[in-house]
Amino acid sequence: MVTDYSFLLQSIAWPLVLMFAWFISERAYELWHIPRVTTYVAVGLVGGLINLPGLTTDVPGLPFLANVALSLVLFELGYRINLRWFRHNPWVLLLGAIESIVTFCVVYWVSGWFDLAVDVRLIIAALSISASPAGIVRVANELRSAGQVTERVLHLCAINCMVSVLVLKLVVGYWYLSTSGDLVMAAFGSIHQVGTSLAVGGLLGVAVPWLLRLRSTNERGVTVVFALAVLLLTTAAYGLKISPLLAALTFGVVARERRVHLTNAQRDFGTAGDLLSIFLFVYIASLLDWADVGAGMFLGILLILARTASKVGCNLVAARLSGITERKGLLTGLALTPMSAFAILLIEQSRLYGFAPAEQVLSIAAGMMLIQELFGPVVTQRALMAAQETHVTKG
Amino acid sequence: MPLETFKASDSLTMGVELELQLVNTYDLDLSSSANDLLELLRRKPFPGVVTPEMTQSMIEIATDVQREHGPLLTQLQQIRDTLVSAGDRLNIELAGGGTHPFQRWFEQRIFSKPRFEQLSGLYGYLAKQFTVFGQHVHIGCASADEALFLLHSLNRYVPHFIALSASSPFSQGVDTLFDSARLNSVFAFPLSGRAPFVLSWEEFANVYFTKMESTGVVKSMKDFYWDIRPKPEYGTIELRVCDTPLTVERAAGLACYLQALCRHLLERREAAPEEDDYLVYTYNRFQACRFGLDGMMVNPKTREQISIREDILATLRHLTPHGVALNSLAALDEIERTAGRVGNHATYLRNQFKGSGSVQSVVRASVEALRLGRS
Repeated sequence: MVTDYSFLLQSIAWPLVLMFAWFISERAYELWHIPRVTTYVAVGLVGGLINLPGLTTDVPGLPFLANVALSLVLFELGYRINLRWFRHNPWVLLLGAIESIVTFCVVYWVSGWFDLAVDVRLIIAALSISASPAGIVRVANELRSAGQVTERVLHLCAINCMVSVLVLKLVVGYWYLSTSGDLVMAAFGSIHQVGTSLAVGGLLGVAVPWLLRLRSTNERGVTVVFALAVLLLTTAAYGLKISPLLAALTFGVVARERRVHLTNAQRDFGTAGDLLSIFLFVYIASLLDWADVGAGMFLGILLILARTASKVGCNLVAARLSGITERKGLLTGLALTPMSAFAILLIEQSRLYGFAPAEQVLSIAAGMMLIQELFGPVVTQRALMAAQETHVTKG
Repeated sequence: MPLETFKASDSLTMGVELELQLVNTYDLDLSSSANDLLELLRRKPFPGVVTPEMTQSMIEIATDVQREHGPLLTQLQQIRDTLVSAGDRLNIELAGGGTHPFQRWFEQRIFSKPRFEQLSGLYGYLAKQFTVFGQHVHIGCASADEALFLLHSLNRYVPHFIALSASSPFSQGVDTLFDSARLNSVFAFPLSGRAPFVLSWEEFANVYFTKMESTGVVKSMKDFYWDIRPKPEYGTIELRVCDTPLTVERAAGLACYLQALCRHLLERREAAPEEDDYLVYTYNRFQACRFGLDGMMVNPKTREQISIREDILATLRHLTPHGVALNSLAALDEIERTAGRVGNHATYLRNQFKGSGSVQSVVRASVEALRLGRS
């Protein structure tokens, strides 16, 4: 006989909320074509707002699970990156690099209008470079989108994420240096994190396709093997204190280059990917604190405007040079709007590894994260639809 | 509106049209990228003509009017190189082949153009299932009656072109056991198949076409999906049974084989065409689609059965003097190589599948064949 109802509710809170998120998202997609990920976020936010008992992020293992979920997405993103394209059209690579730097500078400059410490401004600027692979890949797959805007958004998103992690590691190194004065320690920390992440990801990228080549494997088999490899990589990343996100992205890129066997993993990693994705977005939303959201709203809106202007501006300028129309350039810039899932996990992970300002950044940027998280996927979806690259058509 | 006047052109001139697949580099599925590619191509002069096709994942290219194999092949290679380099800039691959081995027809998007939208409205899902890729060859005719004579005289040779060009063994992810599965999609259209047996243009235009037009079923020649149809505005007949081969070299070979064959037919040494020739037409056509070069065809005049491969090789022997006259011996060699030695591209694709076990590898092989030539 159950008597401790509060304990029971606490135990089942997460799965209940996830089921609820799934039902609501399907309905909202059907009725208003709202991207599913947006609904997941909304449910997570409401859960946090009404302080649902048991819906706490202190449950052990949740950050790990979220990192696995995002690493799967990053692997998939990496696997879609065609390095040879950069050789045939260097403008895409150049655009990604320049746009990342411009975004960093613009956001750093705009954040200077507020009373913020330099290291906090640097971190916010570094995070603003990134675009959320979870939001973008999910929306693109949901619409079975294909075309120049989709291709560019995915490639630019990967470049953005890569640069964002690199810059953040530099900033963290700078912070260690300024607090401890130990240059060797600071440099070693950053170089180790970036270098080992790339090496571990690269190693798996060579090993797993080799394993898959040993026998003919169907789509489901390939999905299982890649998912297990990502799980291994995320676990190893925790042990080695490296970035699972950077490692997973590298794993994807190298695996794509090394593939001889052409069967791909299922999009979104099939049903398991769907399940983890619901959790990821609800979890990310529940990390935001409503008290912080209100306080940082004005700063948030301003930073979003600055970030969007930079991304749209750079894509507009480079559109014709890189072989597309200005209209598609504009839509590419807009489709890069989502950023928060990646940024929040990045900052959360830095906090776990002992980076003190992370907590403060999460609180200051909460307003920005919330808006991006809720509306970013909608902007991406509308941009892809406006570019007529989705397969959801009446014709 | 009456059928337009047949515009006479120089006899035995030729033009080639190829429908090509646009493929993404990630999972090698079809990519709805025609708009992007056409927009990029508009910025520089194009060595021919490039136009959108029914769905967003295909384009059509056309050569100028050509007389000889050499210049035709050169232009096709220039077109191919321009397309491949534009595709590289946009991260799109291009491929020949009559079908995409695993695309899902229901995901294809109709190109936004009034005619395609009207066809989509009329034919429903057939329009999307029409995401198949063919080669059309035009042969110039000095008069309208010459056009109808050639059109019907060619009836017995139609299986040759189906078998030689067949490159669509896979559809919806499986081996269809047909060498040309594409033609089965074309057959679903109500106005497909053979043209009515009329040898006088006067009768064709004023009786047959007028009657058909009065039924409201057709408005122009474009509404007929016949295997060979007259094209009055160009002054040509258009052979439409070929799958797009994997290489432009094979495409040029097929066009010049047709040109040589027409020159041979115009000598009028063969028995004149007659309605009874069509008794075996559908059977021969089926054999060519199903078994390719190994299919058996019935000669409509002698009623003898012979393998399509043997019939092609025998025909080639008659065509040598025409190949010399038309400067197209290299093209006839390519046809002899196909029929006698390496087989058609359906065989090539099946071998690729056998080696790798994946339909993606089949697309990869098609992409590389177009890029590198000869296979």
